[in-house]
Amino acid sequence: MRIYLWELKANYKSLLIYCGISLFFMTVGFAKFSAYAENPELLAILDSMPSAMLDAFSMNAFNLTTVTGFFGVMYVFIGLILSIAAVIWGSDIISKEERDKTIEFSLTLPIKRSTLITAKTAAVLTNCIVLALVTWGLVLVNTARYNPDAEFYSFVFLGMVSLFITQCIFLAVGVFLGSAMKKHKNSGSVAVSLLLGTYFISVIAGLNEDFEFLKYYTPFKYFDPAALLHESKIDLPFVWLSLGIIAVSMVGAYLTYSKRDLYI
Amino acid sequence: MNIYKHEFKSYLKSVGIWSVSIFLIILIYLSAISSISADIQTLNEVLASFPEEFLIAFGMTDMDFSSILGMYGLAFLFCQICLAIQASNYGFSLVSIEERELTADFLLAKPIGRGKILTAKLLAAIASLTITNLVVWVSSFLVINMLNDGQPYETKSLILLLLSIVVFQMFFLAVGVLISLLMKRVRSVTPLSMALAFGMYVISAFGSMLGEDTIEVISPFKHFEPNFIIKNAAYDMPLALISVITILVAIPASYLLYSKRNIHTAV
Repeated sequence: MRIYLWELKANYKSLLIYCGISLFFMTVGFAKFSAYAENPELLAILDSMPSAMLDAFSMNAFNLTTVTGFFGVMYVFIGLILSIAAVIWGSDIISKEERDKTIEFSLTLPIKRSTLITAKTAAVLTNCIVLALVTWGLVLVNTARYNPDAEFYSFVFLGMVSLFITQCIFLAVGVFLGSAMKKHKNSGSVAVSLLLGTYFISVIAGLNEDFEFLKYYTPFKYFDPAALLHESKIDLPFVWLSLGIIAVSMVGAYLTYSKRDLYI
Repeated sequence: MNIYKHEFKSYLKSVGIWSVSIFLIILIYLSAISSISADIQTLNEVLASFPEEFLIAFGMTDMDFSSILGMYGLAFLFCQICLAIQASNYGFSLVSIEERELTADFLLAKPIGRGKILTAKLLAAIASLTITNLVVWVSSFLVINMLNDGQPYETKSLILLLLSIVVFQMFFLAVGVLISLLMKRVRSVTPLSMALAFGMYVISAFGSMLGEDTIEVISPFKHFEPNFIIKNAAYDMPLALISVITILVAIPASYLLYSKRNIHTAV
């Protein structure tokens, strides 16, 4: 418990910075949205389109004149911000002890190594939850003046839940890399390149149906905002896949860290 | 000169990794896009009949996959992300690494001025970035010619696009050095370079989806937007100048800050 509180305190600055980034992004984003909201010209064009045509483009079919559609577009970017924070926090919380040469101190405390990991993971998980909640709050605050309907709120709820799952995947992978990488200096860059790689894959996967099989390899594609909106449910197989990745990474982290050779 | 050599050697491995991954990105992206270009082209023809506002609202402008360069534009954007992260990594760690690894007192006790140290370090970083830059040039021409079946394409816009890399890299290097010198202590580099490079990308990508320019004018991703350069075979001069001016301000400012910096040591 001490370690948990200590880590929370050590990380609050970073948490504040990411909340600031999120605030900045929301402000800029919704300032742009105000130009599109209920734009009569755009609505007239949309009305003149045959509805079959709109359905055909459902993959892109977020109507930007409504807050719901706008959130659907922002979803990917919010996901990026949250996952970057998670993967960096996850790998850093383990590897920083060796970098700052405090590892000897921590490991001579009368606790098991596994307890250390549990406490540290709990601390960064708390950070992730706070960041996700703040982001959620910011979305609601920024959209309140457009009087969104109930459908919007349930969409945002589903969206944030799936973003939180994505966040947890990256967090667990980060913790695993921090524990398992032999050279503590590399864990951060490997974690980040993993994030970049999966993001790049997600872009390719979105280009065409031929590349859809790629979506199993990138957490950014596990939850499709369009499906969240139109079917208002989260794809269960992907939830299980995510939980699987999280469980494997965490077990891996405990196993490798309990045998880790320290760099002092 | 010793410092330069030592620094340059320490970059070699990282330059190798970045160069290989950038080559792979160009290869994989271009082959992936060109394999589906026929599908997308039919989609493009349908889209062309739609009014402009509609396309903007659905984020479907600037998807020109009818030529090899149009496809290359998308691949190049991802190159830019990698180049930006690499350059800001080097920038943030350039001088901060000495303090973090407690080698600063050793280095600064050498009989040379701080200015010279910074020059040697900057030159080594620039040399390493230039190697990566050359790899982008070679792999771009290689992959484009491989996939294009000898059809002609606009070499001028491609060269302009590739020339922009120098300024692009320098922007992130210089800004990275400056920020690291403004901070009291840089604990770890990755979060900072991710924030700078990816932040700029998100600002530009999200911004250009939605019409009018506001905040994204600060982003080099906007200054050297591949689609713009390919379409017009020219730079967006006022925007590109923002990058150049930032570099010209950041480097002298770094010299000034470094010459007066308080160095924290172990003891």
